[in-house]
Amino acid sequence: MTPTIDSAPVLCMQQVHRRRAGRPAVQDLSLTLPHGQVLGLLGVNGAGKSTTLSMMAGALRPDSGSIQLNGADFLEQPELARQLIGWLPERAPLWAELTVSEHLDAHGRLRGLRGGALRQARTAIIERLQLQPLARRLAGVLSQGQRQRLGLACALLHRPALLVLDEPANALDPVQVAALRTLIREEAASGTAVILSTHLLTEVTAVCDRVAILHEGNLRHADRVHGDDHAALERTFFEIAMNRSPAPARAA
Amino acid sequence: MSHTIGNTLSVARLEWRRLIVRPLAWVLGALTLAWLAWNFTLLLGSFLAAQIQRAALPDGPGFTDLVAVPLLGQLAQLAFLVVPLLSMSVLAGERRDGTLPLLFAAGLSAPQIVLGKYLAVLGWLLLWLALTLAMPLALAHATHLDWGKLAAATLGLLLMLAALAALGVACSTFASHPAIAAAAALVLTLALWSVNFGAQMAGVTGGAVNWLAMSTHEQPLLRGLVSTSDVLWFVLLIALALALATRRLSSDRERG
Repeated sequence: MTPTIDSAPVLCMQQVHRRRAGRPAVQDLSLTLPHGQVLGLLGVNGAGKSTTLSMMAGALRPDSGSIQLNGADFLEQPELARQLIGWLPERAPLWAELTVSEHLDAHGRLRGLRGGALRQARTAIIERLQLQPLARRLAGVLSQGQRQRLGLACALLHRPALLVLDEPANALDPVQVAALRTLIREEAASGTAVILSTHLLTEVTAVCDRVAILHEGNLRHADRVHGDDHAALERTFFEIAMNRSPAPARAA
Repeated sequence: MSHTIGNTLSVARLEWRRLIVRPLAWVLGALTLAWLAWNFTLLLGSFLAAQIQRAALPDGPGFTDLVAVPLLGQLAQLAFLVVPLLSMSVLAGERRDGTLPLLFAAGLSAPQIVLGKYLAVLGWLLLWLALTLAMPLALAHATHLDWGKLAAATLGLLLMLAALAALGVACSTFASHPAIAAAAALVLTLALWSVNFGAQMAGVTGGAVNWLAMSTHEQPLLRGLVSTSDVLWFVLLIALALALATRRLSSDRERG
């Protein structure tokens, strides 16, 4: 049974620290994300975005700190990821030998879906992401844009409470980017919390409610997104990226 | 508990699907079964040719000793090459392709992943063994089979395949590339089989070196002698290999 505590945020990270390749990749990071909100995670390459998302998704354990999912300790119960989290990693890794349809079945089973529920979820997501023409095609021959769509379908298949997207607009054409934005907003409207890592500031102003900027593993800025003030966000981002910004932010 | 079994079976099913759509598994299966079938006809031909001479020996070797068990012995030899090739990608391939984090992110524990992968490889090997056994069994109605001896030899093969599969999965867990995993598994299993050859040449038939060798425990089973200590040796080897694989995979999640 999935624990559901409506009053608790979907995700609560407290003072999370993680070293990678001998250097701190994420330092004392604290983030909170309630249901139905979209958080944009910005940062230059190597800022710690992917490490942060891997920890949120349960693929990587922090060295210290705590992560709570719906009020339950995620580090003590990593199996919570099974039903609560949908994750699209960077470059959408796939099993090349499986077809699109088999991928969805495999992901569904790994997430606890069986029988009729699995078939229903698969049909719905294939329709929603317009994957019908690709359903019998091997993942190994898909274009990067098609891989991204399949990865997104796998992340959404089991209707997670937290959707973790690592640069989902990579390799998508403008029409698909627009469709992705609509999809993210639809997910948020249905109560799903979404974390979106991206290099594109326009992506953040278009779909996010809040923004967090990471730099050298530290949270340097956290604020609500003001859709009409793209220039201000850009200014803040470049100040941080050029190391002209003041002390790290306390929490997002 | 049911979640644990369900997760393990989901991993096994995924790995099985990946295994049977890969050309490698089909090529290995087809080539080795063709080789074994050819050898089966040769063994059968020799058996039939010498049937009249053997009729004079009331307790002489029969169909099981001269055809069925030697055929299983050949399968055992092929297994040293087939199992490393079959198991090399199970985790090293996931690591190379970046798909391993997908399994962790599905809330699966390291033992569930390792066991699921192991069961898939074992399933293929059981099918391989069953198809090989079908050759002598097809003649069961026309000849006298020593069922006890055949059962012991099959058990020996089963344990050996299970042990090689566990070593293959463990090597795949430690290696960064499937080819390295295959090479490591091949060297390790050959070393484990022949570690006592030097001691035997020197006339030493007991001691730790002989106990360590796989051949010491496999050959009595192929001859029809089942002993608890031999079965236990294989079970210990399987448990040790899978425990090491699990430990390594757990540390992968920690290290990233």
